[in-house]
Amino acid sequence: MQKTILVGGKAGHGTAFTSHFIGKVFCSLGYYVFNYRDYPSLIRGGHNFNVLKISDQPIYSHSNKFDVIIAFDQKTVDLHKDQLKEGGFILGDKKLEGDKIKKIDLSSILEKLDAPEIMENNILLGWLFKYFGIEEGVLFEQAKEKFKGDKLKLIKKSIEEGYKLSEEKEKIKKNGKPKYFISGSEGVGVGALNAGIDAYIAYPMTPATPVLHFLAKKEDEHDFVTFQSENEIGAVNNAMGSSFAGAKTMVGTSGGGLALMSETLSMAGISEVPLVAYLAQRTGPASGVPTYTSQGDLKMAINAGHGEFLRIVVAPGDAQEAITRTEEAFYLSLKYRALVILVNDKHVAESDYSFKELKSSDLDNQSFIIKNPSDDYKSYKITKDGNSPRAVPGQGPTVRASSYEHDEYGYTTEDPEMTTKMNDKRMRKEELIKEEVKKLNPVSVYGKGKNLIIGWGSTKGAILDSLSELDDYRFLQISYISPFPKEKVKKEIEKSEQVFLVENNATGQLGDIIAEQTGHIIKDKILKYDARPFVPSDIINQINK
Amino acid sequence: MMQGLLFQVILLIKLINKNMKIKDFQTKETNTWCPGCTNMSVLRSIQEVLTDLVNEGEIKKKNIATACDIGCHAKIFDYIDASGFYGLHGRTIPLCLGLKIGNPELTVLGFAGDGATYGEGIAHLIHNCRFNADFTMIVANNKNFALTTGQATPTSAKGYKGASTPSGVKEEALNPLVLALTSGASFVARGNVLDPQQLKRILKESIKHKGFSFIDILQPCLTFNNFTPYLQKHAYNLGEDYKADNYDKALEKAREWDYSMREDGKIATGIFYQKERPTFQGLRDKLKKPWYKVDRKIDKEKIFKEFV
Repeated sequence: MQKTILVGGKAGHGTAFTSHFIGKVFCSLGYYVFNYRDYPSLIRGGHNFNVLKISDQPIYSHSNKFDVIIAFDQKTVDLHKDQLKEGGFILGDKKLEGDKIKKIDLSSILEKLDAPEIMENNILLGWLFKYFGIEEGVLFEQAKEKFKGDKLKLIKKSIEEGYKLSEEKEKIKKNGKPKYFISGSEGVGVGALNAGIDAYIAYPMTPATPVLHFLAKKEDEHDFVTFQSENEIGAVNNAMGSSFAGAKTMVGTSGGGLALMSETLSMAGISEVPLVAYLAQRTGPASGVPTYTSQGDLKMAINAGHGEFLRIVVAPGDAQEAITRTEEAFYLSLKYRALVILVNDKHVAESDYSFKELKSSDLDNQSFIIKNPSDDYKSYKITKDGNSPRAVPGQGPTVRASSYEHDEYGYTTEDPEMTTKMNDKRMRKEELIKEEVKKLNPVSVYGKGKNLIIGWGSTKGAILDSLSELDDYRFLQISYISPFPKEKVKKEIEKSEQVFLVENNATGQLGDIIAEQTGHIIKDKILKYDARPFVPSDIINQINK
Repeated sequence: MMQGLLFQVILLIKLINKNMKIKDFQTKETNTWCPGCTNMSVLRSIQEVLTDLVNEGEIKKKNIATACDIGCHAKIFDYIDASGFYGLHGRTIPLCLGLKIGNPELTVLGFAGDGATYGEGIAHLIHNCRFNADFTMIVANNKNFALTTGQATPTSAKGYKGASTPSGVKEEALNPLVLALTSGASFVARGNVLDPQQLKRILKESIKHKGFSFIDILQPCLTFNNFTPYLQKHAYNLGEDYKADNYDKALEKAREWDYSMREDGKIATGIFYQKERPTFQGLRDKLKKPWYKVDRKIDKEKIFKEFV
């Protein structure tokens, strides 16, 4: 079974809610669902839509041909009617104009129920699920999760009205155990909770903000703090202070915000104060296409900040990976007193994925702060492996962090010998981190085949879903960009006949990094930079051309 | 009898040893300020005040954390023996707030200059006056960027001539006290480096104050902007009769001098305003403990369950 449903309307119609609700219902029945969210940068009006792909098999992407279009306005009909599949239909109000529309007299039902316009979606949901042969009770169960009291009663009534007007045309049965339904942003939030986050500090910026919203709601239950600072520079400096004082701290922003933070990222490098920076990419440059997806900031992530310093850059490819990679980000950052940039794409951050189960990486989630530091504690002790034991203010001895070059105690130095020693000390940590990252699946290979597709981040979903329709291709996903898993990538490229690079940007940034790290220049690039995510057909058509 | 006496002697020795001395706040780092720099006096005052406060049981040495900016005054980081973070130019204030978020038990002192606080990082000052987190922000105001050789800052007087403004600054100076008061700071003071006794009183009160304490210390720069004679002539102490709990009065006093070099300038020094109100930490029940001591039980299965 596979179905693709588009839900479209003006901002404020509840398209995001409706599609999420449909997704939850199918997940509760054991189906796999991928939910793509497409919305312009406005609060009311415009045209928002979601695409749900529902399947009895695991699915990680959407497509642009629909079985059903739920239209809350005429614009949805006009824009998407040509994307209807053979036998597909549009569901909406009786006032809609066009072919293949199942028209419902929504206003008279609303009048009858004395219900506000927002209840329209529940009437349509009732109609649709009756059509699919799914019992009302399944919908009520889902509604109960979100609503209560009079509102819940009204929702139930609205669903019933829709149900009454529809006819059962299909008999969709259960497909095993319920599936987990989670967005990439929720994945990042869950990863942070699993890691035992103490402080999340941010300034709102799409598409990073859902993490702030998610975590802000969890403060009480999990006993930690979230704070919206005055701007990104304030946020990241708050974070540096907070982390230095011993809190497990994370900041979140998008490309423009990371640009503002970059001087402080450099300070994280020299001061060796742990920091996890969440970067949710959107389409740039500058204000760009702010509510849409992109992979244009990879090179910024590996280069942001002046001077030379160590950093870890990791990019999850879906919501499950968002959980584990966030856990890893905290672990590596705290253990090695390092900056970790967690790079997400809007397409991962704001899409909902479904899974049979959710997994944690189960890493040690301590803070790696030493117990009882001595009176002669050295904040920057020069050690063989470069990692200096971490103490925090308040424990007893004087603990110093500095943005200046410093000696072992953290006092300022301009001495050439000490400057070299400290640089070497910091850089020596790279070997440690490389060894540790090897254990964290820095690359993953999916499928079998003599040809190779290489990608990172959100393209994972569309590539995975295109493999079955490609001849002899496997997929190499690179999750750690720094330290770069160069041997593994080199080996995979060298044993392949045809190699394609897939990236949601205009220049093939990962391709450049691969060339720099392995010497292999990938000529066949499938690049997309129209501010929209890949769907499998984009990849299949290009490769089969 | 003898045993009792011995016990008392031991107790006395213990007490003496427990007593902090100024040298406990000194470091062995070479001081690189210009000879006679007014920063020396501020450093000495801070060390004395911290010593007193520790001995009086008001604060603990291990809980002191400084945050320092970039500039001449910020070198104080190397000269005070206390934990701290030597941060970036203009970012001392958010760094201080971060320290309080990370460990609310810390006694946090921020050190920055006029260029950093009123130029590069002015947004942070305004918002932190509103936030009212419990830390002390000490601004060394020499009315120029000294370490970069004397360029004008927002508090340089109109007409000030520096290498970047050879024909003189065209604009009127910013009045940081008025800004702090109107932005909601709960403790606003002006220090005069030429009056170290008063400065110490201000510093002591500011550290004891629960909330955001803001001190603008007028500090002539002997190399690039030596306004010592002007300060000597025009500064006066607010005095003991002045009541610092009156906001309107404080604003009126703050407006008395516009940071210019006018002949009729009257520079009040002392605590202009002090009124406690709920702090950043007080308004957040999560901020009651050092996070590094929190042992959290994480139930991952429960966290995951929300999504099925």
